[in-house]
Amino acid sequence: MLRLEGVEFSYPSAPESTMHFDLQVDDGEVLGLIGPSGSGKSTLLHLVAGFLRASAGRIVVDEQDLQNLPVAARPVSIVFQQHNLFPHLDLYTNVALGVDPSLRLAPAQVDAVRAALARLGLESLQHRKPGELSGGQRQRVALARALVRRRKILLLDEAFAALGPALRAELIELVRELVQEQQMAALLVSHQPGDALIASARCAFICDGRVAALADTAQLLAGSEPPQLRAYLGSQ
Amino acid sequence: MNIPRAIPASLVLALLALLVLAPMAGLLQLSALPGFEAADLRIWENAYLRRVVGFSLWQALLSTLLSVLPAILVARAFALQPGLPLRRMLLGLFALPLVVPAVVAVMAVVSVYGSDGWLPLGRKLYGLNGILLAHVFFNLPLAVRLLLPQWHAIPQSHWLLAEQLGMNHWQRFRFVEWPQLREALPGVLLLVFMLCLTSFAVVLTLGGGPRSTTLEVAIYQSLRFDFDPAKAVVLALLQLALCMLVAIFTLKLQRMPEVEIAAATPWAGKSKAAQWFNLALILAATLYVGMPLLSLLIDALRGPLLRVMFDTGLWLAFGNTLLIGISAAVLAASAGWFLLAYSAELAQRGHSAAARLVDLAASSVYVVPPLVIATGMFVLLSPRVDVFDWVYPVVISINALMGLPFVIRCLGPAMRQNHARYHRLCLSLDLRGWNRFRHLDWPLLRRPLGLAIALVAALAMGDLGVIALFGSTRSATLALLIYQQLGAYLVAQATVTALLLLALCLGVFVLLEHLIGGSADAAA
Amino acid sequence: MYSILLRSGTVLASLLLSFSVQAAAPTLVVYSYDSFTSDWGPGPQVKKAFEANCECTLELVGLSDGVAMLNRLRLEGANSRADILLGIDTNLTAEARASGLFDTHGISLESSALPNPWQDDLFLPYDFGYFAFIYNKEKLHNPPTSLRQLVEDADGPTLLIQDPRTSTPGLGLVLWMKKVFGEQTDQAWAKLAPRIVTVSKGWSEAYGLFLKGEADMVLSYTTSPAYHLIAEQDARFAAARFAEGHYQQIEVAGLVRSSRQKPLARKFLEFMISDEFQKIIPTTNWMYPAIAGNEVLPAEFSQLIDPSPALLLDEALVASERKSWVDEWLEVMSR
Repeated sequence: MLRLEGVEFSYPSAPESTMHFDLQVDDGEVLGLIGPSGSGKSTLLHLVAGFLRASAGRIVVDEQDLQNLPVAARPVSIVFQQHNLFPHLDLYTNVALGVDPSLRLAPAQVDAVRAALARLGLESLQHRKPGELSGGQRQRVALARALVRRRKILLLDEAFAALGPALRAELIELVRELVQEQQMAALLVSHQPGDALIASARCAFICDGRVAALADTAQLLAGSEPPQLRAYLGSQ
Repeated sequence: MNIPRAIPASLVLALLALLVLAPMAGLLQLSALPGFEAADLRIWENAYLRRVVGFSLWQALLSTLLSVLPAILVARAFALQPGLPLRRMLLGLFALPLVVPAVVAVMAVVSVYGSDGWLPLGRKLYGLNGILLAHVFFNLPLAVRLLLPQWHAIPQSHWLLAEQLGMNHWQRFRFVEWPQLREALPGVLLLVFMLCLTSFAVVLTLGGGPRSTTLEVAIYQSLRFDFDPAKAVVLALLQLALCMLVAIFTLKLQRMPEVEIAAATPWAGKSKAAQWFNLALILAATLYVGMPLLSLLIDALRGPLLRVMFDTGLWLAFGNTLLIGISAAVLAASAGWFLLAYSAELAQRGHSAAARLVDLAASSVYVVPPLVIATGMFVLLSPRVDVFDWVYPVVISINALMGLPFVIRCLGPAMRQNHARYHRLCLSLDLRGWNRFRHLDWPLLRRPLGLAIALVAALAMGDLGVIALFGSTRSATLALLIYQQLGAYLVAQATVTALLLLALCLGVFVLLEHLIGGSADAAA
Repeated sequence: MYSILLRSGTVLASLLLSFSVQAAAPTLVVYSYDSFTSDWGPGPQVKKAFEANCECTLELVGLSDGVAMLNRLRLEGANSRADILLGIDTNLTAEARASGLFDTHGISLESSALPNPWQDDLFLPYDFGYFAFIYNKEKLHNPPTSLRQLVEDADGPTLLIQDPRTSTPGLGLVLWMKKVFGEQTDQAWAKLAPRIVTVSKGWSEAYGLFLKGEADMVLSYTTSPAYHLIAEQDARFAAARFAEGHYQQIEVAGLVRSSRQKPLARKFLEFMISDEFQKIIPTTNWMYPAIAGNEVLPAEFSQLIDPSPALLLDEALVASERKSWVDEWLEVMSR
């Protein structure tokens, strides 16, 4: 379980606007994060991952405060919108990097990598390079890497934004399955509110650097409070 | 689409060939006339020449490795410290050694490392050590500036992933940084190699004696003291051939990055130890480059500063210097642009060998000694025109020729990537010619173009070799003025003039980079 | 008849007019080297003095040195604009003669300040100097008193010299050593080599390094201390006087055969051997005037060493042996 308690952050270039986050995500849940651009969705993810340091509050995973942990020590995996893979390495190696960056894998780990690729339907392609794959396939590889790492938290930063609706739906559904299997707590950021309907029971609306609304997805998306939400949904 | 691009490129290539080969032909023709002894063409049997070639290659190779390998670390340090105070100024400082005329640089190096210097090496300075010291002084900063943009071409997510996957510094270098670096590195190695191979005054003065003779010296000697044009041409062709061999080898190692890129700021986490290490590297590099320049500054401030500054001759010379520098830069940039555009096209269509050939041709022209080209041009021009009227065009075109490889290095990678990304889009939108330049190429390529033009201008402004060959009462440049003053016991005055040359060139460099490259923040 | 007179009168008048327009401002082109033509060399004063009387314009073209001048003339051939070449030295005169590019000057030299009488119908001397090793009196207290001592003393002073392949003084030293040591020159070089700090491309680099204290002595001219004395009021530098004598460098000027201004050019050469020109030389070119006597020398010149006997090798010998002597130097120094 992931919990953000009173987490505060402001960018050095804009010290007046402090962001404030309070949030909880259960194991096996994919929490949808929607909101206008610049509202702080990616910032939230970066805070959890550790790329940014919160100025106050706690980020707790299974009773452990992550605040003082360096990025590599946090139980987090992140998938970006693009450039998740190293283009000069084949798929197998890209995924293997998630296990051990020195690429010295024990036999059990090698099997785990192969299994992850197979789970995502990529094992026949494992010796290809990312340049030879489609966008959707590339994101699958990124997911395979997240899978093989077996971390508690999965962060998806607009990971499927560049894909078409059918493919997006397919991959989000896949994320839901993986999160269930491994009992991860996942945050799915998307600029398409509809995406939240696919895999997220609950959805948060981020606006002006805070969680402006948090509710059942269907309820949130039909809702009219707060007014910013209505404006945002109206514009979509 | 092949045809429109091929035309300007072919024209440029033809001009290059003309500029290089015609003068050589002129010289050969001259030596066929009665009154000239036949050239001894059995070069390999000449033990002296074999030793000269061997030494030339050896000192160039060592100098290149000692300049470029540390430059990788220093460029990396700069890239990973985007918030460094005085960053722009330090990078500007790194552009200076290119401007300094070799003879002034030698004096500055001696001021620092000589018997009376700050870090005295005594007599050990004269020999390979001195040559390496001076070459690293010239080329490390250049390599840093050429390599630095590579770090900004790495997608930010790669940095973040590296952090999350727990990569240590070596792994991060191996997976994230090196693949991007590999594109630009061979070209930089080649350029520095050529600069060191053709280095003349440094080798001759700091080399300690004739054991340190290079091929360039032999060419100079055969054309001036022996007046044996045929031998000079043969040696020049030999130097060209050697360089092309090296070029073929290094350019083969070049790899195109396989992913689309965007300008990004490197993110390397908060490891304190790493930060201190990087800062130490930057400090070391700055000291190494800065000390000779600082000694020059100190010496100059002790000299007749005001008298020199108020001499109208100086400002006339500055005007000439500026004219030659900027003209050469614009000419080189235009020629380079057409060649690179064509090369990018070829590469994209899969004709990578042809693309490399264009690259090769444009790069290797550097090693043809300006003395040979200038003298050959002389032979061709003087029966037909009054040579004195042609001094500027000839000096500018030879300097542009010398500057072409710099343009290729700066602009090449960016242009290739730009082409790979957008060419198909341009085709489908029918975006061509001036429109394409205005809307696409200019905004995206301004940066490296600015650096290229600034570098070539700096190089041309500090050039001594070409202008000295033509001589005239009217066309003195600042570099020539310095050399004249040195030749007349006026050492203090020469030092002041050198300082002014540096200051003016720095100003022009920063201005050009700013105007063309656009103002920007930390990136490159 | 009147019409014929009128017509011929007009023709004559226009001829005279065109002739006088031409004669009003002929330009005499003199090729010389940079330190002659630059603002701080003899150039400006020479130009002013000559133009005051010649009704012409004197154009001085600065090329890097004597070798460059001669090569330039060779390349230009008959198309050359040059009327006079001023600044080649006696090491180049044989080649210059052989090139056939010069015409007899037709001036008879009654006397000169040169130590040996001057006999040359193609070239006229304008200044001369002697090579010597310069040292700082405050740093070196017992300079060698002969070339032999300099060579033999293994603990002797360190030296800066120039490359004979790229520099005139460098070549001068080779000839000097040859004159003194003859067949044993290679052994002499071998003994000298360990004390040579570096061999520079030209005079400026070596002298600059010397002034920075990189070595005890530098190969230069006997007149170098005069510069420091007069221009800088600095009396620290002196030339080491060698018992065998000092090698001479005589700089000459020649009339270019393809010149279109020969009478004017000859006039310049006459001017060149006159006191008016000669007195400019000592404090601008820092050499001894070849024609005028000691009366044009500034007082400080009397403090310079007496370089006699003046050593000089026959120009034909130099022309034929130069390459092998330089190769010998090269071979020994490269060991």
